[in-house]
Amino acid sequence: MNNAILIVDDMEINRVILAEGFRDEYEILEAENGIQAIELLNTNNNIAAVLLDLIMPEMDGMGVLKQMNESGRIVHTPVFIITAESSEKMLMDAYNLGAVDVINKPFMMNFLKCRIGNIIELYRHRNDLEDIVNEQVERLNKVNLSMVETLATLIEFRDCESGEHVKRICGLTEILMTAVSEMYPEYYLPRHEIEKIVTASILHDVGKIAISDSILNKPGRLTKEEFEIMKQHTTKGCDILTQIPDIMDNDIYNYSYDIARHHHERWDGRGYPDGLVGDDISIWAQVVAIADVYDALISPRVYKKAFDFETAVKMINDGECGTFNPKVLNAFNASADKIRFKE
Amino acid sequence: MDLISGLGELGVNTDEALARFMNNASLYERMLKKFPAAARDAKALECFQAKDYEKALAATHTLKGVTGNLSLTPLFKAYTDIVALLRADKPEEAEAMYMELIPTEEKIIGCIESCQ
Repeated sequence: MNNAILIVDDMEINRVILAEGFRDEYEILEAENGIQAIELLNTNNNIAAVLLDLIMPEMDGMGVLKQMNESGRIVHTPVFIITAESSEKMLMDAYNLGAVDVINKPFMMNFLKCRIGNIIELYRHRNDLEDIVNEQVERLNKVNLSMVETLATLIEFRDCESGEHVKRICGLTEILMTAVSEMYPEYYLPRHEIEKIVTASILHDVGKIAISDSILNKPGRLTKEEFEIMKQHTTKGCDILTQIPDIMDNDIYNYSYDIARHHHERWDGRGYPDGLVGDDISIWAQVVAIADVYDALISPRVYKKAFDFETAVKMINDGECGTFNPKVLNAFNASADKIRFKE
Repeated sequence: MDLISGLGELGVNTDEALARFMNNASLYERMLKKFPAAARDAKALECFQAKDYEKALAATHTLKGVTGNLSLTPLFKAYTDIVALLRADKPEEAEAMYMELIPTEEKIIGCIESCQ
């Protein structure tokens, strides 16, 4: 539990009075100026409150408040301005920088102890609640992810060839999304979005649950009619996801829906189901598309053997598996070592 | 005569100060004995003589806080007015008031130092 009070004042007399008042209940830390205060804040994570003078040498109280704002520390640690200051503007500036209360010198110790003690209790309570909420959100995310993975396992049971396919697609999506995002500013996405896309890629083939066994597990090439039915796994995937929107985070749901529907679209418009062209296809669906094709090439099928890494890369670059966005292809080629290692 | 009753006769609000020091008289006396050095170190007189009113403001502001916390009431009241005058851009009036304060401050410092 946070049980230290940091007293910041250039005058020893003022520090001693405050220290004496709080010594029984708290560990006391003292700083003679703002720079010492920031050092103590950086090296102690048990500070329950800061009692801060405004006018000091080296770095003044405003400087300390500014730094605590920049580091975000001000949100969790209450700062009391203890000052002989009466300039309204300066006190207002202190409040605007997040000071929780202003206490004028000379202060009455009993009142001061009550005011500071009450606020410390409030902050402790708030910080505890925040920890509880964060824990629950984390637990909820884990449950959601495990539900998504359970669904993917169901698909794997139906589609005997898919075994490790889903795991590899996740790995490839992560590598390719990161590369595209780093190489092309127009496709930049922050880390947490890429993580959501990776989770969403798990469900790209969820629609295969709705394809009959005779087609899904046919020991040979599909006829034209059978292939038309197989293509429906994209739209059927969306139908299934529409029924279960609540099992995942809203963003992951949206990514999943888009990837399930569009991971067979092609850059030149010759893919399915909607025949989208170019960047009308989302970058995440484009990335899962190339990952899906690469994984199919390096995996054995009843009607073909597994191609080696070099052959698979060449076939993708030569357009033998459809046309891809040249920028996504560049990212794919730039990530070749990572992808090969992933094998 | 002990230090605390001596200061009481000079207008220092020792009851208020003792409450602030959690009724710890020896701690109050220890801090009182630090006041003469604190007052000299602030160098308020030098700042006024050099017409450096920015530094004079910082010095008198610090002494306002310290005299307030020690309940050196006559000094605290004067320093409060001096700070206000400096803020109001009236340095000559502030300086005149500081000159008036000096004998009182010397009496209080003398009382503290006589009990060392």
